[in-house]
Order: sequence, then C-alpha cells, then structure tokens
Amino acid sequence: MKTVVSCKHLNKIYRQGQIEVKALTDINLDVIAGDFICLSGPSGSGKSTLLNMIGGLDSPTSGEIIVDGQHVDKMSKSELAELRLHKIGFVFQAYNLIPVLTAKENVEMVMQMQGDSKQYRNEHSLAILKEVGLEGLENRKPAELSGGQQQRVAVARAIVDKPCLVLADEPTANLDSKNADNLLQMMREMGEQHQMTFIVSTHDPMVMERARRLIKLHDGKIIENNKQH
Amino acid sequence: MSHITSLLMSLAWRNLWRNKRRTLVILFAIVLGVWAMIFTAAFMRGMSSQILSDTINNLTGHIQIHSKQYLDDPVIDHRFSLIDDQLFESLNNVLIKQTSSRVRVPAVIVSERESTGLVMVGINPDNENGMSFLQSSIVEGRYLKDENDSGIIIGRKLAERLETRLGKRVVIMSQDKDNKIVDRGFRIVGIFDTQMEALETGYIFMGLQTSEDLLNIKNEVSEVSILLHDMNQLDELVADLQQQNPHLDVQGWAQLEPMSRVIIELYDSFHLVWHLIVFLAMGFGIVNTLLMSVFERTREFGLFQSLGLKPGFIMGQVWVESTLLLMLGLFLGNIIAWWSVLATGEGIDVSAFAQGMEMANLSNIIPFVIITKDLVLANSVVIILGMLTSIYPAWRASRLVPADAITRV
Amino acid sequence: MISVKLKLIYTCLLFLISTSVNAVDARQLIKDAIDHFRGLTSYSEASMIIHRPDWQRSMDMKIWTQGLDRSLVRVTAPKKDMGNGSLLIDDDMWSYTPKINKVIKIPSSMAHQSWMGSDFSNNDVARADDLIEKYSHKILETRQQDGVTIYVIESVPHEDAPVVWGKEILTVRDDHVLLEHKFYDQDGILVKQLTTLEIKFIAGKNLATIERMQKVDAQGEWTEFRLHHIEFDADINKSTFTLSNLRNPRF
Repeated sequence: MKTVVSCKHLNKIYRQGQIEVKALTDINLDVIAGDFICLSGPSGSGKSTLLNMIGGLDSPTSGEIIVDGQHVDKMSKSELAELRLHKIGFVFQAYNLIPVLTAKENVEMVMQMQGDSKQYRNEHSLAILKEVGLEGLENRKPAELSGGQQQRVAVARAIVDKPCLVLADEPTANLDSKNADNLLQMMREMGEQHQMTFIVSTHDPMVMERARRLIKLHDGKIIENNKQH
Repeated sequence: MSHITSLLMSLAWRNLWRNKRRTLVILFAIVLGVWAMIFTAAFMRGMSSQILSDTINNLTGHIQIHSKQYLDDPVIDHRFSLIDDQLFESLNNVLIKQTSSRVRVPAVIVSERESTGLVMVGINPDNENGMSFLQSSIVEGRYLKDENDSGIIIGRKLAERLETRLGKRVVIMSQDKDNKIVDRGFRIVGIFDTQMEALETGYIFMGLQTSEDLLNIKNEVSEVSILLHDMNQLDELVADLQQQNPHLDVQGWAQLEPMSRVIIELYDSFHLVWHLIVFLAMGFGIVNTLLMSVFERTREFGLFQSLGLKPGFIMGQVWVESTLLLMLGLFLGNIIAWWSVLATGEGIDVSAFAQGMEMANLSNIIPFVIITKDLVLANSVVIILGMLTSIYPAWRASRLVPADAITRV
Repeated sequence: MISVKLKLIYTCLLFLISTSVNAVDARQLIKDAIDHFRGLTSYSEASMIIHRPDWQRSMDMKIWTQGLDRSLVRVTAPKKDMGNGSLLIDDDMWSYTPKINKVIKIPSSMAHQSWMGSDFSNNDVARADDLIEKYSHKILETRQQDGVTIYVIESVPHEDAPVVWGKEILTVRDDHVLLEHKFYDQDGILVKQLTTLEIKFIAGKNLATIERMQKVDAQGEWTEFRLHHIEFDADINKSTFTLSNLRNPRF
C-alpha cells in the first residue's frame, strides 16, 4: 500500500517569551492511502498542530514530513500553496466557507483555481453537493445554511477535486450528535468511494468509533496508535 | 489566468458590498474627492482660459509686432511703416489667421466737464473684427464703419466719468509725429461695455486713417496684432517673424502680458497640488477602511491560504477590491462633476468679488472648463495613488500566517 | 500750471483790446478783434484771484506778449510763487521754478486741465484763431444801451473743432469790449460764464479791467483776472521769448 503521509521525528516548539512550549515531541507516523484516521486527545495535546503541519500551514521545528512523496518541511510558501491546492483538502471546525460565495461557488472555487473548465466545474460541483445531500441548496450563501449544512459544503469542497489527503480539524465540534453522526458517515462513505485518505482530529468518542485507526495524542506525544476495523 | 481573474473580480465585487455602509461611506469620500478635484480644476481652468481669452481679446492677440522701442515707451515716435515688402511678405504666412494694424498712442479726452488721459487706438474695423472684444462689446450706437469713420467709440464707464454720452462731441488731444500738440473734436458713435473697468476707461477707438490723419502720419502704425489658426505654432511663428524682420520687435502674448502668463502658469501648477491635497485626505480614508476590512477578514484569508491560494492571490483580492471601489468612485465622481459643471451653465457670476477679479484681469463671469488633460490628471492621481496606497493593506493581508489566521476566531 | 494762464490772458486781451466795430457781420466782429490784437506786442501787469467759499488767494504777474504765439509770464507775488515763469512759443509750453532751478516742458496732456484749482481751463480759449475758423457765427441780437451798440453772437463749433462746447454766446460792445462769454454744453445747458465787471479807459482804449469766470454749478467759486497796467507796442522783440530768458529773473 502507498504511504500518503510520513512523519519522522517531528518536533514543534513554540516560544512564548522565555518559555518554551513543546507542542509536538518526536512524532513518527505513516499514513497509507485510503485510510480514515482519527486523531484524538484533550485540548492542547497537539492535534491541530500536527494537522496544520501535515497541511503545510505551519512548519516543524525539526523532523521530516513527506506528503505524497514530497518533503513538506523543505517547500516554499508558494510550493506549499500548490500542494494544498492539488493534493490536500481541509475541513475546519467552523467558518470553513467564503461568506460572499454560494455553496456551489465555494465548492467550485478550488476547481476554478486549478483551471478546470466551467462546464466541468458545474457538473462536478452539482454532483458532489448532491452526494453530500445538499441538492437544492446550491445557491445559498453560507449564512443561509445550518451549521451541519455548512460543514457538508466544506467536505464537498475538500473532496471535489479528489485530493489524496483530506485533513479535518474537529469537523463535528459545533454540530449536534445527529448532525455529527451524519457528517462522519458521509465522510467515510466519500473516502471509500473516492479512494481518499482522511485524517480527522476530534475528542468526540463517536468520531473515534468511526475511524479505522485511532491515534491518541497527549502532551505532544503519540500514546496510542491502534488499528480498529 | 482568466479563471483567476474572474474569481478575483467576483470575490472583490461581492466583498465590496458585504459591509454596505462602510463601502458607501468610503465611496462617498472618493466621489466627493473626485468631484472636488474636477470641479475645482474646471473652475481654475475656466479662470485661466478666461484670463487667456481676455488677454488675447484685450487688444493683445497672439503675437504683436512693434518698433523696437515701442514696448518701453509706447508713443508716436516708435512707429513703423507698413509699406515694407519684407514685412508684407512675412505676414503672408499660412499659419496666420488674421492680422490687424493699429495706431496706439497716449491721448487726452476732454468733455465739457472732465478730461482724462488714455490710450487712443486707431483700427481698421474689418480687420479688428473677431480679433478683439470691441465689436461684440458695443452696447449703444454702432461699430466703426471703416478706416475713415469720423466717429469714435468709448467705454461706458469713461462716458459716465466724462459726463458725456452717445452722440455728443468730445475733444481728443495727442502729439503728432513732430511732437506737436494736435487736437480735434470727435462725435461719440458707439459705447462699449466690457465688465473690465480698466479697459472701459483706458481706451478709445477710431478709424485707422482718421487717427493717422490726426497724427500727421501715413501708412505707419504702432503695432500689428496677429491671430493664429493654432496657438501651438506661436513660438515657431514668433521666431520666423523676428528673423524675417530684424528691425522690428516680435513678441507672443506671454511676453506681452507677463502677468497673465504667470497667473495661468500658477493655476496650471496648482492643479496637481490641489489634487494631491484632496487625495491625501481621501487616501487616509481608503487605507484605513481597507485595513479595517482586512483585519475583520483575517480568518477568511487564512482559509484562502489553506485552500491553496498563494499570498499573491490574497494580495490581489484586496487590491482588486480597492481598485473597483476607486473606479466606481471615479465613475460617479466624474459624472457628478460633469453634471455640476453643466448645471452652472455659462459659468458663475463672481461680481460680488468683482474688484478682486478685476485685479486679476478677470471678467465677472467665470466659465467652468473641463479639458481632457485635467480629467486625465485628476483620474490618474486618484487611480494611481489609490492603487499604490491600497498595496499596503493588501500586503498586510497576504502576510497573515495561515495557521494563526485560521485559529483566530 | 502757470502756462495755462497764458492762454487765458490771450482770451482776455483778445476781447479787452478792442476799439471799433467796422462791420456787423458776426464772424467779422470777432475776426476784427483778433486781427486788431494780432501782431501787437504788449507788456502788462495783472493779478489773478481765486475765490472759494472758505479761502481766497491772489497772484501778481508780469506778462510780455508778441502776437498770439509768443508770451512770457513771471509771477511777482506772493513770495512763495515769486520767480515762477512760463513761456509759450507756438504750441509748445515750458515752465520754470526757481526753487528747483529747472525748466520743464509741459506735456500735451496737461494743456486741457484746469489750473491751480481756478475756474479757468485751457478749453475756454483753445487757440484764439479757432474761434474764427472753427466756429459758425451768428448775431442773435443787436441792441442799443447807454449810447453803444451791443451785439449778442452765437458761436457754434464745427464738427471737428477741438472744442467741447455745444455753443458759446458772446456779448460784445461796438468798441469791442467783451461784456459776457457764456459756455453751453451740448445739451444747451450753461456750464460757465466769463463776465466783465469793470471797464476802464486805459492805454488809449476802453478795456475790461476786471473779468470773472464762474462755473454755474459751483456758486461761491470764481476766478478773477484784474488788469492793472498795460503798454501796447512796447519795445519787445522775438529774442525775449527764449528758454534762457525763462530762467532769467530779470524778465
């Protein structure tokens, strides 16, 4: 199986004045294609930091990150942007969408940046929105959608151009359990259907249950790395 | 790249209307600024074009030819002959639209009750027509019939001062070519009114031949005034005429009326200064507002970055947004400026400040004149400086660290 | 300023020095007087009084003349003006002020101005010959009074005459003494008038010895010319009227 993400001896130290805070300590992690991984742990355990670093939004203090064969830690800002654009989809806890664009436009935006044709964009965005269960709501602005609907749009956008990796940082934190469940269900289905790798951070036990692999973080260290299903 | 451009445009346009109130306030500021620039420019242009046309109309023309000493001492002694092949030939130039020869010497006018010194101008009424203010300024009586017309035309204010009027006789006194005192009675056949007191009280007009007869000269004049088809050819023609007539003095209006030239140049250079002052006020508003909206949207910019958009795109987005705002402001500002200039009609009546205006060689009605150059200048100042000042907030937006930006809620 | 007086004096002399009337033609009446005067030389002493409601001043002078074209005037009193002189040759005028020891040519523009605040102006007189040549004359009235014939003559300037008046009305006795000279504007309104106040037999002729010029719209303001002494055909030659004599206090 192909390894999509590989972290080796990853360290991240934040400096706050004189005090050094170790956000991540010696993280070693390999993620194979098509996996659905759950990162769990209490607040401040380093889940978001790890996700950001894999996505190239933050850089490690030391260590290596390889995404789809490319050394993320050695890339320039612009190369990182390219990488994110083509290979990584993000879903955040909230405020995932560009408020001035409709659901469909939000989904289309990434494709537009990649230079896809208008017709292609149109077909695919409509199809993916239908897939995530938002048929008929395509032309609503984020403010006109519920929290759950917004997260669905975010997921749709993250996967529409079939990136090899989707990073979701607490995607269900602001959703009620029913909506959270639906979203998770959908993400797994999508992952399986489109052969995409998901790394989802959460402290929601229900999310953990759905994951194939559960990685627990505590104080910046991996304390558990279990394959579940 | 067009897909990026169209995305940029639609994002910028929609972001513009996200905070309607703020956008409208800054739009209002831009429109007001642009209006102030163009309207003021039109007013100043009107003033300077008024000064220029008044200067040219007030017996100056575009170019004048005199004898060498005339400008220093404008008396009968400094005259020159018109029977001069060289001069005749050089005046037969395609650049020249019209010429008028004049006798122009100091004289004294006397009525039953008053007398005053002034300048007596002998003209050929046909040649003068269209060159100077005279014919169109006649408010009573008639224009001169021909060179031999025995009547004279005087200003309305002068008539009041002399307690005389149309149809009455006055005595004109001057010195002839031998410096002997010559005088003659003349009947007033016309009264002119120019809004400019100095002109109305300082000049009287008679037929060229009549004036030559009075001064005992023949085919000799004080000046030849020249009007060109195209004023841009002035310097060229002055040089040619001077070279062809080395014994005479050839001068353009700017040399003849240095005060007018200085005022016009002053107004010209003030355009840019004024634009910069207005822009300075406007520019601060634009930068402030943009910065505010950038900080409010920090998270959004982080999101853009995480989606794989490069810092340049983010910078471009803010920049296009402010450029759109500027262009919209310019568009409206230009329209309103045009409208307000049209609404003033022939100009504004500044007779309330007439005394000051007269000092500046101006008539009472100042027209508003919009010329392409001024429009281009005002619009360029706003768009170029506006785009330059928008770079800062745009740059700030692009410098946001995505991880921080996203986590900041 | 003094130069203007010269012209004034001509007028006075022109009408004062008159002996007989040879014809009753209006033009002739005036021409005779001028012809009679022309070619004569004279030496006279006279004074000028300028009167205003709140002040009055007087000036004494000596005058040498030859014909109409040459004259020399010297102020003898009051002290502050003493020695001031003025010379007229043809149409050119010069003035001399001993205080600054300078001869100044009078510019043409000043020739028409009123002088020293008096009620005379050069316009009144222009050139004496103009009154013959550039006017149309008409006798309006002939009457007998105190044994003399009095003619009232209306003189209207020609169109191009260098005269601003609409008409002038002169009252002349048959012995050529001018009694009155009225100046009317072009609307026929009397502007000012010269009136003879005293006539004396002097130097063998009847002469008006006091004349007063008064503007109609300024009552209480007038200027008087008083002739004290006159000698005709005095021994004066052309060389009297030179710029060097203008500087010479002997004249």
